[in-house]
Order: sequence, then C-alpha cells, then structure tokens
Amino acid sequence: MLRSFLILGLVAGFIPTLPAQDKPTPKPVEKELVVPIELLPSRHFVVLVKLNDKGPYRLILDTGAPLTIINSRIAKDAGLTKKSGGGGGLLGMLGGGLNQIQVAKMQVGDVIADKSGAVVMDHPTVTAISEAFEKESGPIDGIIGFPFFARFAMTVDYQKKEVTFKPNGYKPGDYMQDLMNSMSKLEEKNKPRIIAPAGLWGFTVDKETMDDAEGVTVKTVYAESAAAKGGLKSGDRLLTIDGRWTDTIGDTTLAASLVKPGTAVKVVVKRDGKEVKLTITPTTGN
Amino acid sequence: MRWVTFLGGLVSVLVAAPGFVAEPVPKEKSAAEAIDVPYRLTDTKHVLVRVKLNGQGPFNFILDTGAPAVFIPNKVAKKIGLKLDDKGWGEFDKFVLEGGLVVEKARTRVEDLFQLEGMNGMGLAGVELHGVIGYNVLAQFRITYDFTADKLQWVQLKDFEPPVVKPIGKGGSGGGLDMMGNVMKMLAGFMGVKPNFEINPTGFLGMEYEEKKDGLYAKVVLKDSPADKGGIAVGDKIEFIGIASIDDRSDIKKALAKATSGDSLKIKVLREKETKVLTIELGKGL
Repeated sequence: MLRSFLILGLVAGFIPTLPAQDKPTPKPVEKELVVPIELLPSRHFVVLVKLNDKGPYRLILDTGAPLTIINSRIAKDAGLTKKSGGGGGLLGMLGGGLNQIQVAKMQVGDVIADKSGAVVMDHPTVTAISEAFEKESGPIDGIIGFPFFARFAMTVDYQKKEVTFKPNGYKPGDYMQDLMNSMSKLEEKNKPRIIAPAGLWGFTVDKETMDDAEGVTVKTVYAESAAAKGGLKSGDRLLTIDGRWTDTIGDTTLAASLVKPGTAVKVVVKRDGKEVKLTITPTTGN
Repeated sequence: MRWVTFLGGLVSVLVAAPGFVAEPVPKEKSAAEAIDVPYRLTDTKHVLVRVKLNGQGPFNFILDTGAPAVFIPNKVAKKIGLKLDDKGWGEFDKFVLEGGLVVEKARTRVEDLFQLEGMNGMGLAGVELHGVIGYNVLAQFRITYDFTADKLQWVQLKDFEPPVVKPIGKGGSGGGLDMMGNVMKMLAGFMGVKPNFEINPTGFLGMEYEEKKDGLYAKVVLKDSPADKGGIAVGDKIEFIGIASIDDRSDIKKALAKATSGDSLKIKVLREKETKVLTIELGKGL
C-alpha cells in the first residue's frame, strides 16, 4: 500500500514555494469587509459560515489549518456530497475517509469565496470543543482554514472582536495535491534543500564552526557590485537582510532568495561595534 | 482508517487547552505602530515566523489561532533553560520575533505536540517546526496576513488585556489523534526518511545578465568572481549551460538551480560571432 501510494504520487512535480516569489498577482481593488468573531472560552474564535446559502454554521477560524474542514452533519445539511470515487485515484486510496469537496459558495460573514475547497471530516478536536460549549452557544461544526482566508488580506483584531477581509488575488492552490506531491518525494527530504539567491549581490560570507554569535562575517565584497555600491565592507558582521536574520550562511541565502532583483532593501551590519543600516539593491544575475 | 488518522493531524494544528488556565499578561503601554514581521509559508501551508527565545535560536513557529497559547517542545525548553511553574507554564525572559518585535513577558506551555512531531518526522513542512504561537501572544496584536506580501503586519493593541483561557473539561487536545505523531514518525522510518533541514546555497557565478530579444547577455562580470576567472566577458551571449539551452532568465535560473559551490559548468558563449566553451567553477557567495 505504501509503495503504490508513493508511485501514484510521483506523477506530478513538486515545487517548493516561498511567499515573495510565487504567484505575483495583480491586486484587485475591492473593499474591506468586517466579520465579527465570537471568542470561545477556550479562546478559539468562531465565525458564522454559510455553505451554498445554507446555514449559518459556527466554524473556528484557524490560521494553523491548511485545510477547511466541514463536519459530516453540516455537509449533509448543506447538501454537499463528496465527489464520487474520491476525485483522483490517490484520494480513493485514502480509504474514502478524507472527502475533498468544493463548495460553490462559501460565505464567512459577508465575505464570499467561490469554489473554495474543503474536506468533510469529523475532526476529533473540533468535536471535543463543540461538546464542551454547545450547551451555551450551539455546536461548532468545523474549521475555516487556509484555502479560504489566503484569498484575502486578513486582519485579526481580538480587541474589536472582528476579522477584516480584503480580496488580494492570492491563489491558495490545491493543498491535497501539494501534499501528495511532497510525500511522493520523501527521499529528497533527506538531502539539504538547495536555495538560490533571487538576485546578484556580490559578496561572500563565512562563519566559523565555533562562532555562535549573531550574524555572519562578510569576507569578500566584489568591486562595483550591488553590495559594494550599497556600502557593504569586508569585515562587517551581517545581521539582517530585509528584516530577516542572517545567523548562518544558509539563512543569509534564504533571506537573499526572498529579495527580487531591483528591490532596494535594508541591510543591517555591525561595524566597529555599532549597528549600521545600509540599503542594497541586488541586480539581475547569479 | 489508517490514512484518516495519518492525515488527521495535518489538516490542522488545532489544540485545545488540556485543563489549564492561562494567567493574564500584565500589559505595558507602547505605541501602536505596525511592525513588519517576515514570514514564510511552509510546504504544508503553515504561516511560519522565526523567534529568538532568551537570545537563542532562531526557532521556527507556526502562527496558530487554533491554539490557546504558545507551545514549545521539551527539547527547546531544555535548550534555552526555561523554568516551569508547577502548572507547566514558563515565561521567556526574551521573546523576539524576526523583524525585531519584542513580546513582553510571553508565556508558554511546554508540550511535545503530536502535530509538529508528525510533520517533523517526515520533514513535510520543508523546515523543522519548533513550536506554535497561539492565542496568548496573538491576541495582544492586530495582525494582518497577506500572502501576496512578504511580511505580516503586527500592531500592538493598546489598553487591551486578552481574556484568559479557560480549559475545556476533558483534556481534549487529542481525541484519538495523539498517536498521529508516532504513526508518522514510524512511517517515516519505514520509508527511510530522515529529514535534513539544512540549506545548501547554490553556487556563485558573479555575473549580471540582461535579457535581449535574441537571448541572454553578460552585462556585468564582477572582477575576480568565478565568472571572471572562467573567462566570461561583458557582451557574451550565453547560449548553453551544460546541455541546457539558454534563452532567457528563467532558463539560466533553472540551469543553475541545483549547482552548488565547487561544481564545474561548461558554458557555451557567443563572442563576436565566435563560439567559445568556457569551464567555470562555481564559488561561494551571493
């Protein structure tokens, strides 16, 4: 079973994503919508959700949830039936236990997302939370997760007890597909991940094995490079690139991988015991 | 059924407080300005931020409105020498988010969450996850999540003391999912997965390039860089790297995506109507 699971997963490619680089989407100008939240005694917060105009149901909004989860009770109530055969082979292999569906109209407060993915599942933790509080305020029937909220710039304010949504054009992708792809390449997880800076900076860094102080040491700064033009000097202790810590060579590369060529960013170094802020604009190159 | 269990923890890092009461956090006044907090999305679509705890780290945390508090595993608590009270809570001397945001008197639970153990066992997130940041810290801020931007915005809420967490009667965090972490670790073992979370930077060339209608040209070659030493000259048209034909930026990115420092590349260039094949040994740097 394991083997066929892996083989099936191999059919599609695995593309690791980093937020700054993928899916550059034009931002549609749309207005913000405010959704009230109900804070449970457990401090999860609940929003009112309609599924294809049925409901409202009470679901937990959970930034830690990569999936939207709907329990079987409301799935049935809203007439959301699972895809026959479990979609593409792989999901069938999951024993039909994880039913992926697409909700034509998912509405959280007044915020509507068309064709939003979800799974039908009676999540034990949701059930436990629901049972604890349903006497006072009614049942809790699932989780609003990434596939919904990622489509918006979402602001959570516990003081005003509201969440603000503004469409941002982000496409959340197909989580289950991504997961299957990732699982199909498990052997790659045993190797370090190779990461490329997004642009050309023109310097090298180093860090001795025993050196556990913050930052990395700048070694060479190539003449006429973006780094040289920005004032970086050999011997500087590089602390951050664009607000990201550079405590290892790997982290330095990671930070640089998130800065698109032509973007001026703040670079903070320690020089002669003082923090110095530089501005560097990497160029297009390698 | 096995697969349902297996995936159960991946759908959400939803944690219910297992019989504890969070104490209110004394608030200090501070200006309500937005602080940019760098983040990344993990391969599992979790919102990852980095935190230095008591000056150590950085540690990788998931932002999780589905968790009532900050959770760290025993391993991390031990590493930073955190002292726990008799209810299993600890308070960080220093809790600093990447981007420079300091959370005063941040308190944490110390527990090995099965969700994180499971994901780490297989390396599914693509990065090692050390903990989650839940309600007790998140509620002190107004946080904007926008995945088309590369930073989150955190604004300290003024004159607001988040209501304390009340436990839900019966433990409830697992509801049968507790075993998931072990199941995934075991599966990882079967599959020969020993996740490697290291980052290996790509090799350094030291060349700025320019896309023209008929191909890609060397625009700047940094003096003494690997490109310079290998003989690339300004104005060279880059035609092939190894067996990959180069027409534009995406081609060269692809050709160099897996090459690391020390790798030798055969680069075919066109210079004054003459074809040259150059051998370039990639270096370290960015």
